[in-house]
Amino acid sequence: MNSLGLTLAIVGAVCAALFSGIGSARAVGLVGEAAAGVVSVDPSKFSKVLILQLLPGTQGLYGLLIAILLLSRIGVLGGGAVDLTTQQGLMFLAASLPIAVVGYFSAIAQGRAAVAGVGITAKKPEHNGKGIIMAAMVETYAILALLVSILLIYNIAI
Amino acid sequence: MNTTKYANAVAVVKAMENTLLTRSDMEQFINASSTAEIESLISAKKGGNTGSVENVWEMIHEYAPDSRELEILLYKNDFHNLKVSLKAMISGREPQKYYIRPTNLDLNHLTQAISAKEYDVLPEFIRDTAEKAYGLIVDTSDGQLVDSFIDTATLSAIQKSSADFGSEFMRKYAQLVTVCADIKTAYRLSRMKKQKNFIENAICGSAELDKESLVRETLGGTENLLNYLDGTIYRETAELLRTSPAQFEKWCDDAVMELAETAKMKSFGTEPLIAYYIATEAEVKNLRIITVCRESGADRETITERMRKLYV
Repeated sequence: MNSLGLTLAIVGAVCAALFSGIGSARAVGLVGEAAAGVVSVDPSKFSKVLILQLLPGTQGLYGLLIAILLLSRIGVLGGGAVDLTTQQGLMFLAASLPIAVVGYFSAIAQGRAAVAGVGITAKKPEHNGKGIIMAAMVETYAILALLVSILLIYNIAI
Repeated sequence: MNTTKYANAVAVVKAMENTLLTRSDMEQFINASSTAEIESLISAKKGGNTGSVENVWEMIHEYAPDSRELEILLYKNDFHNLKVSLKAMISGREPQKYYIRPTNLDLNHLTQAISAKEYDVLPEFIRDTAEKAYGLIVDTSDGQLVDSFIDTATLSAIQKSSADFGSEFMRKYAQLVTVCADIKTAYRLSRMKKQKNFIENAICGSAELDKESLVRETLGGTENLLNYLDGTIYRETAELLRTSPAQFEKWCDDAVMELAETAKMKSFGTEPLIAYYIATEAEVKNLRIITVCRESGADRETITERMRKLYV
């Protein structure tokens, strides 16, 4: 059994969950700080700012999804790990990188956009939807990265 | 600078901006039939919170994770309090009721430090000025000279601190405040025909209007100074000073507000906090103008003409 190949694939799963999770945690925390500031002045805006706070949390979920799919594909979740070559292991590691890297940076960027949206909600609550749309636009790139990671994981021959 | 650390404070300020008075609120106050009606309108608009500068400063100070840069905004009050403390010590009066708040200084501490001549206990930005101002007042007994020395030191301290640890926004603010103060001082001194030493002591100078040129042109007389300003990016101030010095004062306040308005688009950093403080100062100043003008019997047009630009 080539343990290096399997190890590389598992490192890929870890990267997917780790970096997108860190990105989301930082971003949700940042928006949470801003949202708390608005709520401390006007508690009635809680539900509006909560939506904005949730937006950058999706990258963490995408990372988790990729990690589960990858671990499932290499048989680690089912208890029967597949024997992977080093090349296959590297391919799985590469497959996890789109969501790991794009997930991290898009979460941070979406968090900043969402904080700006919190500012809109604070001053003009009737335009809250515009702030949500602007922050949600960043999601596009996280979804694209998620798709690439999924396609790669399912199309690597083992 | 890590600007995201101000996310919470900026959001609070953005929410608070909704409580700032608007132009139409001010027009309502101008058209009110009595001072009592103005007070009741303010109370209705602000919900009992008169939004004093001191309260706003406390709020900003409480929410900002690092208020070192913001403290530069209070230097004017701090140096004013230094003047009060020195004069109170010399004249043997109680300074407390002449102090301005908010301030970075512990006022009891300041009073004791000046009385005991223990300048080392004062914050670094004001320490040397306090010691030199005391020496000057003892040597010359010239209150006007000491005032202008402290005023110049205020501007120097604002510029130095802004350059040392301020944002680009704060540096622009420092530049603008210095230029306005220098033009105002130069204009006044040119009319008073003061001596070169006095003028040199009273003008701070900045990157846009250097001290040497301002002193030279001020010594040449008012028209000479205004002609000099005509050739700078502040030519508008020369036109205003020719027609109405009061309009020049308004221009200075409006220029600071225009700078503050650039922070409206910012979601991070200290800019929105600084802008909110400036906005509150402008609001208080406008209310004071309305009250004073009405008490002196000024008509609505005059009051409207004197109103400063508002943030919202």
